Amino acid sequence: MAKSEEHQSWLAELDAKSRAKQAGFIDGISGKLKRPRVTAPPAHPYRGAPDFWKAFEWPLEERIAKFQANFKAAGGHTERLASMEDARAFIAGKAAELSARYVIRQNQPELNGLGLEDAMPDAAFSVWNSDPQEHWKARAAEADFGIVVADYAAAYTGSVTVLSSKDKGRSVSLLPTVLMVIIPLERLHTRLGEILIDFDRAGREHLPAGIHFISGPSRSADIENDLTIGVHGPGVVYALLVG
Amino acid sequence: MSATGTQAGGATVKERAELALNNDFLRKAVKFTTERLRAGKENAAADHGNWDDWRERGRQIRLHTIAHLDYYLNLFADNARANGVHVHFADTAAEAVKISLDIAKHAQAKTVVKSKSMVTEELHLNHALEEIGVEAIETDLGEYIIQLAGETPSHIIIPAIHKNRYQIAELLSADAGETLAPDTQVLAGFVRRKLREKFLEADIGMTGCNFAIAETGSMVLFENEGNARMVTTVPKTQITLMGMERIIPSFADLEVMATLLPRSATGQKLTVYMSGITGPRRDADADGPEEMHIVIVDNGRSLQLGDPEFQELLNCIRCGACLNACPVYRHIGGHAYGGTYSGPIGAVLTPALKKNVAEWDDIANASSLCGACYEACPVKIPLHEMLIYLRRRKLEAGRGDKMEALGMKGFAAVMSNAKRYRAVVKLGQLGQKLVVRDGGIRVKLGPLKGWNTYRVTPSLPKASFRQQWKTMEEEIRHGLQDMDPAVKSRMEQIVKDRESGKGGHGHHG
Repeated sequence: MAKSEEHQSWLAELDAKSRAKQAGFIDGISGKLKRPRVTAPPAHPYRGAPDFWKAFEWPLEERIAKFQANFKAAGGHTERLASMEDARAFIAGKAAELSARYVIRQNQPELNGLGLEDAMPDAAFSVWNSDPQEHWKARAAEADFGIVVADYAAAYTGSVTVLSSKDKGRSVSLLPTVLMVIIPLERLHTRLGEILIDFDRAGREHLPAGIHFISGPSRSADIENDLTIGVHGPGVVYALLVG
Repeated sequence: MSATGTQAGGATVKERAELALNNDFLRKAVKFTTERLRAGKENAAADHGNWDDWRERGRQIRLHTIAHLDYYLNLFADNARANGVHVHFADTAAEAVKISLDIAKHAQAKTVVKSKSMVTEELHLNHALEEIGVEAIETDLGEYIIQLAGETPSHIIIPAIHKNRYQIAELLSADAGETLAPDTQVLAGFVRRKLREKFLEADIGMTGCNFAIAETGSMVLFENEGNARMVTTVPKTQITLMGMERIIPSFADLEVMATLLPRSATGQKLTVYMSGITGPRRDADADGPEEMHIVIVDNGRSLQLGDPEFQELLNCIRCGACLNACPVYRHIGGHAYGGTYSGPIGAVLTPALKKNVAEWDDIANASSLCGACYEACPVKIPLHEMLIYLRRRKLEAGRGDKMEALGMKGFAAVMSNAKRYRAVVKLGQLGQKLVVRDGGIRVKLGPLKGWNTYRVTPSLPKASFRQQWKTMEEEIRHGLQDMDPAVKSRMEQIVKDRESGKGGHGHHG
């Protein structure tokens, strides 16, 4: 990962050039707008969704029903399960049914204590980034199943949100053929806005490199409008609502 | 990607459109797809509810951001840099290409995998990369197909809208070195396998940018296939090219854009993937790019700033709804417009970015000014009015049609004098006897050539409106005498009041 000194000095040179250019580039905009440069945050009275929308929230049972309906309409599968043990049994059952041989999962506490590995004795199991020597993107690319716990979900659009970290690979929800997403019910919201506002509140320094909203299986209608599922990302996606 | 293959057809919109109109499949496919997308959008908007409130909100957020673009773009650049991104500013297409090639050379790149980006089309970046020996691979299914065909996108959302499955099977079979059945699953399956390898071996991932969030320095991508996630997850180096106007202030504002964009583009509640990328991979992460560059591109955009007629062009969120709504686009397809952007937005944006009305002067005429584009636009850009401004500027620049100008002068001379007008109508009524057949005029000669190529000019009636006026006026006057006396006296009183200066306003009883 260490870049050569020559490369670093080239990057430093680029950055110096960019900083030098920035002032003129931005001043050019102010000039075209025919006023001096704005340096204080301008009042933004229309920030975010309309007010009537911000107050909108479904009760839990409706959130569950709408999430399931929307996720299915997009070509995904959903199950409502009472406990994490039920989720383990469900995933193991699907893995047996589809003869999954390679499985990769995130290194999340909810999964670490679950004993998924024991429930799927026939599968070669990898836990994301558990060994610094491993080529993790290749492990994810070969996987039949990817298993993740969602950070958020939104019922109105039928979306799950996953955030990246040392223990949560972006590849795990992207490269395997089948994606299993576990959604603890307390993370299921009504609107996208309830999730997005957290990123504003967290602020730049605390955001992960990757924030991904996933609303069903990968799809395309580029050939004669004929819907194709599983073009680059997972073609089979299960959202398991637990709780 | 070079633009040959699409531009070869003709120099003007009219010539290129004739090619399109002769291609039966193209016309049907474009009509079918645009109607499907348009219906999807209308259903999604109705289903969501309060659509006009959302459009207005979207418009206000875009207006606010562009009005303070110096503040927000500067904030974005500072924050992105603080996230570890290498930010670059490019005034021109050439400069953006130069920066991108420099990065590719230093990464010693052999291949670049690309997700859909209209800006890179604008820059002809694929072509430039190929010239320095770097293979640029489009990974969006539709883009991959037209790249194999050596063409450019004909629709902003469905780039290969003009190709049928047999043509696609032929292209992909040549690519595969074996015959592939013209079956969507088979064809898409081949592309998945082929591009998987490319994603895993590529040195650089290149993307466009739907939105850039000023307060956090994040860039946001909307997509359905997962290829944009691939190119921002797997390769070591990421290069993002973004138009300087892609900015929104916050993630809260993203909710409004995420509500408007997918519904307007395809009728989806949200695209399958919406990704917010904030800087390169963190040191402890095991995937994501090690090095991330964002190239902020002007290339004519800032020319719209401070221009009261065109500044709102920068509000565009590139959804394609105006293409699907446009009766002209639905007939002639995207390539007929001859630029990177097609449809109503392209008809305005192409000449606006070039600030060269002359070169593109017939595009503004390829529009019926019906206003369907404005109705469809999720951020309410008055495209139909902009088309009129363009036509006016073209005239002011002396690029108008000489015959049209002459005709208008003659029209003014005749219309300003009643006697002259009467004489001309009489002359026409006599003269047309030579050319009228079945109640219409079909000759394609002289001033009637343009009109009669596609339509029939109706003949002048035996008695014109003015010639009938005397009789009509008498009938009306006669009718008035039969008016209810009470009404008549009230009307006469009003006239009298008006003449004596009282009345008019203030009758609110």
